Amino acid sequence: MTLLKLEFYKCRRRNIVLICAAILAVQFIWMTAYFSRQDAEDLKWGWMLLLYNLSTVDAIILPLSVATLASRNCELEHKGSTWKLLETMATPGQLYTAKLVWGALVLAVLLIIRSVLFLSVGIAQGFQGAIPWGRFGLFTLLSWAVSMMVYALQQGLSLRFANQAAALVCGIAGSFLGILSMLFPPALVRCVPWGYYGLLSLVFMDWNKATRVTRFYWHALPATDVALLLLWMAVFLIAGRALFVKKEV
Amino acid sequence: MNIIQTHDLCKQYGNALRVSHLNLNVPEGSIYGFLGPNGAGKSTTLKMILGLVRPTAGSIRVLGKDMDNSNRLSVLRQVGSLIESPSYYGHLTGEENLRIVQTLRGIPEKNIREVLQIVRLDGQREKKVAHYSLGMKQRLGLAAALLGYPKLLILDEPTNGLDPAGIQEMRELICDLPGRFGMTVVVSSHLLSEIDQMANHVAIIREGELVFQDSLEALHGRSRHHLALRTTNNAIARRLLAEQSVPCEEENGYLILPILSDEVAAQLTGFLAGNRLGIVRLEERQKSLEDIFLDLTGKAASL
Repeated sequence: MTLLKLEFYKCRRRNIVLICAAILAVQFIWMTAYFSRQDAEDLKWGWMLLLYNLSTVDAIILPLSVATLASRNCELEHKGSTWKLLETMATPGQLYTAKLVWGALVLAVLLIIRSVLFLSVGIAQGFQGAIPWGRFGLFTLLSWAVSMMVYALQQGLSLRFANQAAALVCGIAGSFLGILSMLFPPALVRCVPWGYYGLLSLVFMDWNKATRVTRFYWHALPATDVALLLLWMAVFLIAGRALFVKKEV
Repeated sequence: MNIIQTHDLCKQYGNALRVSHLNLNVPEGSIYGFLGPNGAGKSTTLKMILGLVRPTAGSIRVLGKDMDNSNRLSVLRQVGSLIESPSYYGHLTGEENLRIVQTLRGIPEKNIREVLQIVRLDGQREKKVAHYSLGMKQRLGLAAALLGYPKLLILDEPTNGLDPAGIQEMRELICDLPGRFGMTVVVSSHLLSEIDQMANHVAIIREGELVFQDSLEALHGRSRHHLALRTTNNAIARRLLAEQSVPCEEENGYLILPILSDEVAAQLTGFLAGNRLGIVRLEERQKSLEDIFLDLTGKAASL
Protein backbone atom coordinates (compact mmCIF):
# COMPACT_ATOMS: atom_id res chain seq x y z
CA MET A 1 0.00 0.00 0.00
CA THR A 2 2.87 2.37 0.86
CA LEU A 3 4.52 1.66 -2.46
CA LEU A 4 1.24 2.25 -4.30
CA LYS A 5 0.72 5.61 -2.55
CA LEU A 6 4.25 6.54 -3.48
CA GLU A 7 3.58 5.73 -7.13
CA PHE A 8 0.90 8.44 -7.11
CA TYR A 9 3.22 10.75 -5.16
CA LYS A 10 6.04 10.24 -7.66
CA CYS A 11 3.71 11.02 -10.56
CA ARG A 12 3.15 14.58 -9.33
CA ARG A 13 3.86 17.06 -12.11
CA ARG A 14 4.06 14.21 -14.63
CA ASN A 15 0.88 15.52 -16.33
CA ILE A 16 -0.95 12.22 -15.90
CA VAL A 17 -4.30 14.03 -15.47
CA LEU A 18 -3.60 16.07 -18.59
CA ILE A 19 -2.83 12.93 -20.59
CA CYS A 20 -6.05 11.29 -19.39
CA ALA A 21 -8.01 14.46 -20.24
CA ALA A 22 -6.44 14.44 -23.71
CA ILE A 23 -7.45 10.78 -24.23
CA LEU A 24 -11.04 11.61 -23.24
CA ALA A 25 -11.05 14.72 -25.42
CA VAL A 26 -9.85 12.82 -28.49
CA GLN A 27 -12.48 10.10 -27.97
CA PHE A 28 -15.17 12.71 -27.41
CA ILE A 29 -14.25 14.75 -30.51
CA TRP A 30 -14.01 11.59 -32.60
CA MET A 31 -17.45 10.37 -31.50
CA THR A 32 -19.02 13.81 -31.84
CA ALA A 33 -17.68 14.08 -35.39
CA TYR A 34 -18.99 10.59 -36.19
CA PHE A 35 -22.46 11.13 -34.78
CA SER A 36 -22.84 14.53 -36.42
CA ARG A 37 -22.53 12.79 -39.81
CA GLN A 38 -25.24 10.20 -39.12
CA ASP A 39 -28.80 10.59 -40.41
CA ALA A 40 -31.98 9.86 -38.45
CA GLU A 41 -32.10 6.29 -39.82
CA ASP A 42 -28.64 5.49 -38.42
CA LEU A 43 -29.27 7.27 -35.14
CA LYS A 44 -32.16 4.93 -34.39
CA TRP A 45 -29.46 2.39 -33.43
CA GLY A 46 -28.46 4.88 -30.70
CA TRP A 47 -26.79 2.90 -27.89
CA MET A 48 -25.63 0.07 -30.15
CA LEU A 49 -24.05 2.53 -32.55
CA LEU A 50 -22.34 4.25 -29.64
CA LEU A 51 -20.87 1.06 -28.15
CA TYR A 52 -19.87 -0.30 -31.56
CA ASN A 53 -17.96 2.87 -32.39
CA LEU A 54 -16.48 3.20 -28.93
CA SER A 55 -14.81 -0.20 -29.29
CA THR A 56 -13.41 0.92 -32.66
CA VAL A 57 -12.13 4.18 -31.18
CA ASP A 58 -10.64 2.23 -28.25
CA ALA A 59 -8.75 -0.01 -30.67
CA ILE A 60 -7.16 3.06 -32.27
CA ILE A 61 -6.57 5.31 -29.30
CA LEU A 62 -6.08 3.14 -26.24
CA PRO A 63 -2.96 1.15 -27.30
CA LEU A 64 -0.91 4.33 -27.66
CA SER A 65 -2.58 5.92 -24.62
CA VAL A 66 -1.79 2.90 -22.45
CA ALA A 67 1.79 2.89 -23.75
CA THR A 68 2.12 6.59 -22.87
CA LEU A 69 0.79 6.11 -19.33
CA ALA A 70 3.06 3.12 -18.66
CA SER A 71 6.02 4.99 -20.09
CA ARG A 72 5.36 8.12 -17.99
CA ASN A 73 5.26 6.00 -14.85
CA CYS A 74 8.38 3.92 -15.57
CA GLU A 75 10.55 6.51 -17.28
CA LEU A 76 10.95 8.57 -14.10
CA GLU A 77 12.84 5.70 -12.47
CA HIS A 78 15.23 5.26 -15.40
CA LYS A 79 15.77 9.01 -15.72
CA GLY A 80 16.86 9.44 -12.11
CA SER A 81 18.68 6.05 -11.78
CA THR A 82 16.42 5.33 -8.82
CA TRP A 83 16.32 1.53 -9.10
CA LYS A 84 19.51 1.13 -7.06
CA LEU A 85 17.97 3.27 -4.31
CA LEU A 86 14.49 1.70 -4.39
CA GLU A 87 15.79 -1.86 -4.41
CA THR A 88 17.55 -1.30 -1.09
CA MET A 89 14.10 -0.63 0.42
CA ALA A 90 11.75 -2.89 -1.55
CA THR A 91 12.03 -6.03 -3.64
CA PRO A 92 11.87 -5.73 -7.44
CA GLY A 93 8.68 -7.82 -7.34
CA GLN A 94 7.00 -5.34 -5.00
CA LEU A 95 8.05 -2.42 -7.20
CA TYR A 96 6.67 -4.17 -10.28
CA THR A 97 3.34 -4.85 -8.55
CA ALA A 98 3.02 -1.27 -7.26
CA LYS A 99 3.49 0.11 -10.77
CA LEU A 100 1.01 -2.38 -12.22
CA VAL A 101 -1.66 -1.54 -9.64
CA TRP A 102 -1.05 2.17 -10.26
CA GLY A 103 -1.74 1.57 -13.96
CA ALA A 104 -4.83 -0.51 -13.14
CA LEU A 105 -6.29 2.25 -10.98
CA VAL A 106 -5.52 5.06 -13.43
CA LEU A 107 -7.04 3.09 -16.31
CA ALA A 108 -10.08 2.13 -14.22
CA VAL A 109 -10.79 5.77 -13.30
CA LEU A 110 -10.16 6.91 -16.89
CA LEU A 111 -12.50 4.31 -18.39
CA ILE A 112 -15.22 4.84 -15.78
CA ILE A 113 -15.18 8.59 -16.48
CA ARG A 114 -15.24 7.79 -20.20
CA SER A 115 -18.31 5.58 -19.77
CA VAL A 116 -20.10 8.15 -17.60
CA LEU A 117 -19.32 10.82 -20.20
CA PHE A 118 -20.75 8.84 -23.12
CA LEU A 119 -23.73 7.59 -21.11
CA SER A 120 -24.53 11.21 -20.32
CA VAL A 121 -24.17 12.13 -24.00
CA GLY A 122 -26.49 9.29 -25.01
CA ILE A 123 -29.09 10.29 -22.44
CA ALA A 124 -28.79 13.98 -23.41
CA GLN A 125 -29.19 13.08 -27.10
CA GLY A 126 -32.25 10.99 -26.29
CA PHE A 127 -31.02 7.71 -27.78
CA GLN A 128 -33.91 5.34 -28.42
CA GLY A 129 -34.62 2.35 -26.21
CA ALA A 130 -33.81 1.56 -22.62
CA ILE A 131 -30.43 2.62 -21.34
CA PRO A 132 -28.21 -0.52 -21.44
CA TRP A 133 -26.70 -0.03 -17.98
CA GLY A 134 -25.47 -3.60 -17.71
CA ARG A 135 -23.90 -3.66 -21.14
CA PHE A 136 -22.24 -0.30 -20.55
CA GLY A 137 -20.81 -1.66 -17.31
CA LEU A 138 -19.61 -4.80 -19.06
CA PHE A 139 -18.14 -2.75 -21.91
CA THR A 140 -16.21 -0.63 -19.38
CA LEU A 141 -14.93 -3.76 -17.66
CA LEU A 142 -13.85 -5.29 -20.97
CA SER A 143 -12.11 -2.09 -22.11
CA TRP A 144 -10.26 -2.05 -18.80
CA ALA A 145 -9.33 -5.75 -19.02
CA VAL A 146 -7.97 -5.42 -22.57
CA SER A 147 -6.15 -2.23 -21.57
CA MET A 148 -4.62 -4.02 -18.59
CA MET A 149 -3.37 -6.79 -20.87
CA VAL A 150 -1.79 -4.14 -23.09
CA TYR A 151 -0.54 -2.28 -19.99
CA ALA A 152 1.23 -5.44 -18.76
CA LEU A 153 3.03 -5.65 -22.11
CA GLN A 154 3.88 -1.94 -22.12
CA GLN A 155 5.06 -1.90 -18.51
CA GLY A 156 7.32 -4.86 -19.23
CA LEU A 157 8.89 -2.95 -22.13
CA SER A 158 9.09 0.36 -20.27
CA LEU A 159 10.80 -1.26 -17.30
CA ARG A 160 13.16 -3.32 -19.41
CA PHE A 161 14.43 -0.54 -21.67
CA ALA A 162 15.58 2.80 -20.28
CA ASN A 163 14.98 4.37 -23.68
CA GLN A 164 11.21 4.65 -23.93
CA ALA A 165 11.26 4.78 -27.73
CA ALA A 166 10.91 0.97 -27.90
CA ALA A 167 7.78 0.99 -25.71
CA LEU A 168 6.20 3.94 -27.52
CA VAL A 169 6.90 2.46 -30.98
CA CYS A 170 5.17 -0.70 -29.72
CA GLY A 171 2.20 1.47 -28.64
CA ILE A 172 2.00 3.15 -32.06
CA ALA A 173 2.21 -0.23 -33.78
CA GLY A 174 -0.51 -1.46 -31.41
CA SER A 175 -2.84 1.38 -32.38
CA PHE A 176 -2.27 0.59 -36.04
CA LEU A 177 -2.73 -3.16 -35.61
CA GLY A 178 -5.71 -2.61 -33.31
CA ILE A 179 -7.78 -1.06 -36.07
CA LEU A 180 -6.26 -3.09 -38.89
CA SER A 181 -7.01 -6.36 -37.11
CA MET A 182 -10.74 -5.62 -37.38
CA LEU A 183 -10.35 -6.59 -41.02
CA PHE A 184 -8.61 -9.88 -40.15
CA PRO A 185 -10.39 -13.22 -39.88
CA PRO A 186 -11.34 -13.90 -36.19
CA ALA A 187 -8.73 -16.65 -35.78
CA LEU A 188 -5.97 -14.19 -36.72
CA VAL A 189 -7.38 -11.38 -34.56
CA ARG A 190 -6.92 -13.64 -31.53
CA CYS A 191 -3.17 -13.59 -32.20
CA VAL A 192 -3.03 -9.79 -32.07
CA PRO A 193 -3.17 -8.48 -28.46
CA TRP A 194 -4.52 -5.07 -29.51
CA GLY A 195 -7.21 -6.75 -31.62
CA TYR A 196 -9.13 -7.73 -28.47
CA TYR A 197 -10.69 -4.25 -28.27
CA GLY A 198 -12.62 -5.10 -31.43
CA LEU A 199 -12.86 -8.85 -30.82
CA LEU A 200 -14.63 -8.38 -27.49
CA SER A 201 -17.04 -5.75 -28.80
CA LEU A 202 -20.56 -6.22 -27.46
CA VAL A 203 -22.12 -4.95 -30.67
CA PHE A 204 -21.57 -6.41 -34.10
CA MET A 205 -22.62 -4.99 -37.45
CA ASP A 206 -24.30 -6.78 -40.34
CA TRP A 207 -24.31 -5.10 -43.71
CA ASN A 208 -26.74 -6.56 -46.24
CA LYS A 209 -25.27 -6.34 -49.71
CA ALA A 210 -28.62 -6.71 -51.46
CA THR A 211 -30.61 -4.20 -49.46
CA ARG A 212 -27.55 -2.04 -48.59
CA VAL A 213 -28.96 -1.80 -45.09
CA THR A 214 -26.78 -1.91 -41.98
CA ARG A 215 -28.06 -3.72 -38.95
CA PHE A 216 -26.49 -3.72 -35.47
CA TYR A 217 -27.04 -6.48 -32.96
CA TRP A 218 -25.94 -7.40 -29.44
CA HIS A 219 -23.24 -10.03 -29.43
CA ALA A 220 -22.81 -12.54 -26.63
CA LEU A 221 -19.35 -12.55 -25.12
CA PRO A 222 -17.45 -15.69 -26.23
CA ALA A 223 -15.92 -17.40 -23.19
CA THR A 224 -13.00 -18.64 -25.32
CA ASP A 225 -12.00 -15.11 -26.26
CA VAL A 226 -12.19 -13.98 -22.64
CA ALA A 227 -10.02 -16.96 -21.66
CA LEU A 228 -7.54 -16.06 -24.41
CA LEU A 229 -7.46 -12.47 -23.18
CA LEU A 230 -6.61 -13.70 -19.68
CA LEU A 231 -3.95 -15.98 -21.15
CA TRP A 232 -2.32 -13.08 -23.01
CA MET A 233 -2.44 -11.04 -19.84
CA ALA A 234 -0.83 -13.83 -17.81
CA VAL A 235 1.94 -14.22 -20.40
CA PHE A 236 2.76 -10.49 -20.39
CA LEU A 237 2.62 -10.30 -16.60
CA ILE A 238 4.78 -13.34 -15.97
CA ALA A 239 7.33 -12.47 -18.67
CA GLY A 240 7.45 -8.76 -17.77
CA ARG A 241 7.84 -9.43 -14.06
CA ALA A 242 10.44 -12.17 -14.55
CA LEU A 243 12.55 -9.97 -16.85
CA PHE A 244 12.36 -7.06 -14.40
CA VAL A 245 13.14 -9.11 -11.31
CA LYS A 246 16.04 -10.86 -13.04
CA LYS A 247 17.64 -7.62 -14.18
CA GLU A 248 20.51 -6.45 -11.96
CA VAL A 249 20.78 -2.73 -11.36
CA MET B 1 33.81 -6.37 15.36
CA ASN B 2 33.62 -6.30 11.58
CA ILE B 3 30.49 -4.59 10.28
CA ILE B 4 30.98 -6.09 6.81
CA GLN B 5 32.64 -9.40 6.13
CA THR B 6 32.84 -11.06 2.75
CA HIS B 7 34.21 -14.51 2.19
CA ASP B 8 35.47 -15.68 -1.19
CA LEU B 9 33.14 -13.23 -2.92
CA CYS B 10 33.10 -13.69 -6.70
CA LYS B 11 31.17 -12.18 -9.58
CA GLN B 12 31.45 -13.53 -13.08
CA TYR B 13 30.06 -11.83 -16.19
CA GLY B 14 30.28 -14.17 -19.17
CA ASN B 15 33.75 -15.69 -18.95
CA ALA B 16 35.27 -12.76 -17.08
CA LEU B 17 35.69 -12.95 -13.31
CA ARG B 18 35.11 -9.29 -12.39
CA VAL B 19 35.38 -9.86 -8.63
CA SER B 20 37.62 -12.67 -7.53
CA HIS B 21 37.60 -14.35 -4.11
CA LEU B 22 37.28 -11.13 -2.17
CA ASN B 23 37.64 -11.29 1.62
CA LEU B 24 36.77 -7.86 2.98
CA ASN B 25 36.70 -7.02 6.68
CA VAL B 26 35.30 -3.61 7.52
CA PRO B 27 35.88 -2.70 11.20
CA GLU B 28 33.00 -1.03 13.03
CA GLY B 29 33.36 2.73 13.44
CA SER B 30 35.97 3.06 10.70
CA ILE B 31 36.08 5.07 7.52
CA TYR B 32 36.99 2.28 5.18
CA GLY B 33 38.51 3.41 1.91
CA PHE B 34 37.88 1.03 -0.98
CA LEU B 35 40.45 1.96 -3.54
CA GLY B 36 41.10 0.75 -7.05
CA PRO B 37 41.41 1.93 -10.63
CA ASN B 38 38.27 2.33 -12.74
CA GLY B 39 36.86 -1.06 -13.73
CA ALA B 40 38.60 -2.84 -10.85
CA GLY B 41 35.27 -4.14 -9.49
CA LYS B 42 34.56 -1.64 -6.69
CA SER B 43 30.97 -0.80 -7.68
CA THR B 44 30.15 -4.44 -8.40
CA THR B 45 31.44 -5.41 -4.94
CA LEU B 46 29.44 -2.68 -3.20
CA LYS B 47 26.33 -3.62 -5.17
CA MET B 48 26.78 -7.25 -4.10
CA ILE B 49 27.03 -6.13 -0.46
CA LEU B 50 23.71 -4.27 -0.91
CA GLY B 51 22.11 -7.23 -2.68
CA LEU B 52 21.63 -5.28 -5.92
CA VAL B 53 23.85 -7.72 -7.79
CA ARG B 54 23.81 -11.46 -7.12
CA PRO B 55 27.23 -12.94 -6.28
CA THR B 56 28.39 -15.85 -8.41
CA ALA B 57 30.01 -17.38 -5.32
CA GLY B 58 30.94 -16.51 -1.76
CA SER B 59 29.12 -15.10 1.23
CA ILE B 60 28.44 -11.69 2.73
CA ARG B 61 27.80 -10.78 6.36
CA VAL B 62 26.53 -7.30 7.14
CA LEU B 63 25.98 -6.13 10.74
CA GLY B 64 26.63 -9.66 11.89
CA LYS B 65 23.94 -11.22 9.72
CA ASP B 66 24.31 -13.35 6.61
CA MET B 67 22.81 -11.48 3.67
CA ASP B 68 20.23 -13.51 1.78
CA ASN B 69 16.93 -12.80 0.07
CA SER B 70 14.93 -13.42 3.23
CA ASN B 71 16.68 -10.86 5.45
CA ARG B 72 18.24 -8.49 2.92
CA LEU B 73 15.73 -5.68 3.35
CA SER B 74 15.65 -5.92 7.15
CA VAL B 75 19.48 -5.68 7.29
CA LEU B 76 19.47 -2.80 4.79
CA ARG B 77 17.16 -0.80 7.09
CA GLN B 78 20.33 0.02 9.00
CA VAL B 79 22.39 0.73 5.90
CA GLY B 80 22.46 3.92 3.84
CA SER B 81 23.93 3.91 0.37
CA LEU B 82 24.90 6.14 -2.49
CA ILE B 83 25.94 4.05 -5.46
CA GLU B 84 27.61 5.63 -8.49
CA SER B 85 25.52 8.62 -9.60
CA PRO B 86 22.88 9.99 -7.18
CA SER B 87 19.33 8.64 -7.48
CA TYR B 88 16.66 11.31 -7.71
CA TYR B 89 13.34 12.36 -9.24
CA GLY B 90 14.13 15.52 -11.18
CA HIS B 91 10.50 16.69 -11.36
CA LEU B 92 10.17 16.61 -7.56
CA THR B 93 11.73 18.97 -5.03
CA GLY B 94 14.60 17.94 -2.78
CA GLU B 95 12.22 17.61 0.16
CA GLU B 96 9.74 15.52 -1.87
CA ASN B 97 12.58 13.21 -2.92
CA LEU B 98 13.54 12.65 0.68
CA ARG B 99 9.89 12.12 1.66
CA ILE B 100 9.81 9.09 -0.66
CA VAL B 101 12.80 7.53 1.13
CA GLN B 102 11.41 8.54 4.53
CA THR B 103 8.04 6.88 3.76
CA LEU B 104 9.66 3.71 2.44
CA ARG B 105 11.97 3.42 5.42
CA GLY B 106 9.19 4.31 7.87
CA ILE B 107 11.29 6.86 9.72
CA PRO B 108 10.21 10.10 11.43
CA GLU B 109 9.40 13.08 9.20
CA LYS B 110 11.62 15.39 11.24
CA ASN B 111 14.68 13.54 9.91
CA ILE B 112 14.11 15.17 6.51
CA ARG B 113 14.81 18.67 7.83
CA GLU B 114 17.72 17.42 9.91
CA VAL B 115 19.55 15.68 7.07
CA LEU B 116 18.90 18.64 4.76
CA GLN B 117 20.69 20.76 7.33
CA ILE B 118 23.55 18.28 7.67
CA VAL B 119 24.21 18.35 3.91
CA ARG B 120 23.52 22.10 3.82
CA LEU B 121 20.59 21.88 1.40
CA ASP B 122 17.87 23.26 3.69
CA GLY B 123 17.77 26.49 1.68
CA GLN B 124 17.13 24.55 -1.53
CA ARG B 125 14.57 22.07 -0.27
CA GLU B 126 11.68 23.49 -2.32
CA LYS B 127 13.62 23.63 -5.56
CA LYS B 128 13.09 20.92 -8.19
CA VAL B 129 16.05 18.54 -8.21
CA ALA B 130 16.33 18.85 -12.00
CA HIS B 131 17.51 22.41 -11.32
CA TYR B 132 20.17 21.32 -8.79
CA SER B 133 23.86 21.34 -9.68
CA LEU B 134 25.67 17.99 -9.70
CA GLY B 135 27.20 18.79 -6.32
CA MET B 136 23.76 19.49 -4.86
CA LYS B 137 22.38 16.25 -6.34
CA GLN B 138 25.29 14.39 -4.79
CA ARG B 139 24.58 16.01 -1.41
CA LEU B 140 20.90 15.13 -1.78
CA GLY B 141 21.97 11.53 -2.43
CA LEU B 142 24.03 11.65 0.76
CA ALA B 143 21.04 13.12 2.62
CA ALA B 144 18.87 10.22 1.41
CA ALA B 145 21.52 7.77 2.61
CA LEU B 146 21.72 9.51 6.00
CA LEU B 147 17.97 9.81 6.47
CA GLY B 148 17.57 6.90 8.88
CA TYR B 149 20.90 7.60 10.63
CA PRO B 150 22.11 4.16 9.59
CA LYS B 151 24.85 2.22 11.34
CA LEU B 152 26.59 1.69 8.04
CA LEU B 153 26.97 4.06 5.12
CA ILE B 154 28.17 2.82 1.74
CA LEU B 155 29.30 5.58 -0.61
CA ASP B 156 30.51 4.71 -4.08
CA GLU B 157 32.71 7.43 -5.56
CA PRO B 158 30.77 10.22 -3.79
CA THR B 159 33.03 12.98 -5.11
CA ASN B 160 32.78 11.95 -8.77
CA GLY B 161 32.13 14.91 -11.01
CA LEU B 162 32.36 17.48 -8.22
CA ASP B 163 34.47 20.64 -8.43
CA PRO B 164 37.34 21.08 -5.91
CA ALA B 165 35.14 23.01 -3.47
CA GLY B 166 32.45 20.33 -3.70
CA ILE B 167 35.02 17.58 -3.15
CA GLN B 168 36.32 19.38 -0.07
CA GLU B 169 32.78 19.84 1.28
CA MET B 170 31.83 16.20 0.68
CA ARG B 171 35.07 15.04 2.29
CA GLU B 172 34.41 17.13 5.41
CA LEU B 173 30.87 15.75 5.62
CA ILE B 174 32.08 12.15 5.38
CA CYS B 175 34.89 12.63 7.89
CA ASP B 176 32.37 14.05 10.37
CA LEU B 177 30.00 11.08 10.26
CA PRO B 178 31.67 8.45 12.50
CA GLY B 179 32.33 10.97 15.27
CA ARG B 180 28.96 12.69 15.06
CA PHE B 181 26.62 9.76 14.50
CA GLY B 182 28.72 6.68 15.26
CA MET B 183 28.45 5.46 11.69
CA THR B 184 30.81 3.17 9.87
CA VAL B 185 31.53 4.56 6.39
CA VAL B 186 32.68 2.57 3.40
CA VAL B 187 33.81 4.95 0.70
CA SER B 188 35.15 3.88 -2.67
CA SER B 189 37.36 5.95 -4.90
CA HIS B 190 39.90 5.67 -7.65
CA LEU B 191 41.83 8.58 -6.12
CA LEU B 192 44.51 7.62 -3.65
CA SER B 193 44.85 11.16 -2.30
CA GLU B 194 41.14 11.24 -1.49
CA ILE B 195 41.21 8.00 0.47
CA ASP B 196 44.44 9.14 2.17
CA GLN B 197 42.61 12.23 3.48
CA MET B 198 39.42 10.47 4.57
CA ALA B 199 39.96 6.86 5.52
CA ASN B 200 41.58 5.14 8.45
CA HIS B 201 41.32 1.67 6.92
CA VAL B 202 42.09 0.83 3.31
CA ALA B 203 41.43 -1.98 0.88
CA ILE B 204 42.99 -1.88 -2.56
CA ILE B 205 41.45 -3.90 -5.36
CA ARG B 206 43.02 -4.65 -8.72
CA GLU B 207 41.18 -6.44 -11.52
CA GLY B 208 38.73 -7.85 -8.99
CA GLU B 209 41.40 -9.10 -6.60
CA LEU B 210 42.18 -7.71 -3.18
CA VAL B 211 45.84 -6.69 -3.12
CA PHE B 212 45.93 -4.83 0.20
CA GLN B 213 43.72 -4.54 3.25
CA ASP B 214 44.82 -2.96 6.51
CA SER B 215 44.92 0.33 8.36
CA LEU B 216 46.09 3.46 6.58
CA GLU B 217 49.09 3.54 8.94
CA ALA B 218 50.09 0.10 7.73
CA LEU B 219 49.92 1.35 4.14
CA HIS B 220 52.06 4.34 5.06
CA GLY B 221 54.42 1.97 6.84
CA ARG B 222 55.24 0.47 3.47
CA SER B 223 56.74 3.74 2.35
CA ARG B 224 60.25 2.64 3.46
CA HIS B 225 63.44 4.71 3.06
CA HIS B 226 66.26 3.62 0.77
CA LEU B 227 69.43 4.96 -0.85
CA ALA B 228 69.80 5.60 -4.58
CA LEU B 229 73.39 5.50 -5.90
CA ARG B 230 74.59 6.48 -9.34
CA THR B 231 78.19 5.86 -10.44
CA THR B 232 80.23 6.28 -13.62
CA ASN B 233 79.81 2.52 -14.18
CA ASN B 234 76.84 0.98 -12.44
CA ALA B 235 77.54 -2.55 -13.70
CA ILE B 236 81.01 -2.68 -12.08
CA ALA B 237 79.69 -0.91 -8.97
CA ARG B 238 76.97 -3.54 -8.65
CA ARG B 239 79.54 -6.34 -8.83
CA LEU B 240 81.76 -4.65 -6.26
CA LEU B 241 78.82 -4.09 -3.90
CA ALA B 242 77.88 -7.74 -4.23
CA GLU B 243 81.43 -8.66 -3.22
CA GLN B 244 80.93 -6.50 -0.11
CA SER B 245 77.60 -8.29 0.58
CA VAL B 246 75.55 -5.08 0.07
CA PRO B 247 72.22 -5.97 -1.61
CA CYS B 248 71.23 -3.70 -4.47
CA GLU B 249 68.92 -3.49 -7.48
CA GLU B 250 69.26 -1.37 -10.56
CA GLU B 251 66.31 0.94 -11.32
CA ASN B 252 66.21 3.75 -13.85
CA GLY B 253 70.01 4.21 -13.93
CA TYR B 254 70.32 4.10 -10.14
CA LEU B 255 71.42 1.34 -7.80
CA ILE B 256 68.87 1.04 -5.01
CA LEU B 257 70.46 0.16 -1.69
CA PRO B 258 68.99 -0.31 1.79
CA ILE B 259 69.45 2.49 4.29
CA LEU B 260 73.07 2.44 5.56
CA SER B 261 74.63 4.17 8.54
CA ASP B 262 76.75 7.23 7.73
CA GLU B 263 79.92 5.30 8.62
CA VAL B 264 79.12 2.36 6.32
CA ALA B 265 78.03 4.72 3.53
CA ALA B 266 81.33 6.63 3.80
CA GLN B 267 83.34 3.37 3.71
CA LEU B 268 81.39 2.16 0.70
CA THR B 269 81.86 5.33 -1.36
CA GLY B 270 85.56 5.29 -0.46
CA PHE B 271 85.77 1.65 -1.57
CA LEU B 272 84.08 2.44 -4.91
CA ALA B 273 86.32 5.49 -5.46
CA GLY B 274 89.34 3.29 -4.68
CA ASN B 275 88.22 1.08 -7.54
CA ARG B 276 88.24 4.12 -9.87
CA LEU B 277 84.51 4.58 -9.93
CA GLY B 278 83.14 8.11 -9.77
CA ILE B 279 80.18 8.68 -7.42
CA VAL B 280 77.80 10.87 -9.38
CA ARG B 281 74.77 10.82 -7.05
CA LEU B 282 73.94 9.39 -3.61
CA GLU B 283 70.40 10.22 -2.47
CA GLU B 284 68.15 9.16 0.38
CA ARG B 285 64.68 8.39 -0.96
CA GLN B 286 61.30 7.50 0.47
CA LYS B 287 58.72 5.45 -1.42
CA SER B 288 55.63 7.60 -1.81
CA LEU B 289 52.06 6.37 -1.32
CA GLU B 290 51.66 6.76 -5.07
CA ASP B 291 54.58 4.38 -5.65
CA ILE B 292 52.99 1.84 -3.31
CA PHE B 293 49.65 2.16 -5.08
CA LEU B 294 51.45 1.77 -8.40
CA ASP B 295 53.26 -1.31 -7.15
CA LEU B 296 50.02 -2.82 -5.86
CA THR B 297 47.75 -2.00 -8.77
CA GLY B 298 50.16 -1.65 -11.64
CA LYS B 299 48.42 1.63 -12.50
CA ALA B 300 48.96 5.29 -11.75
CA ALA B 301 47.52 6.71 -8.51
CA SER B 302 44.65 8.47 -10.23
CA LEU B 303 43.09 6.58 -13.10
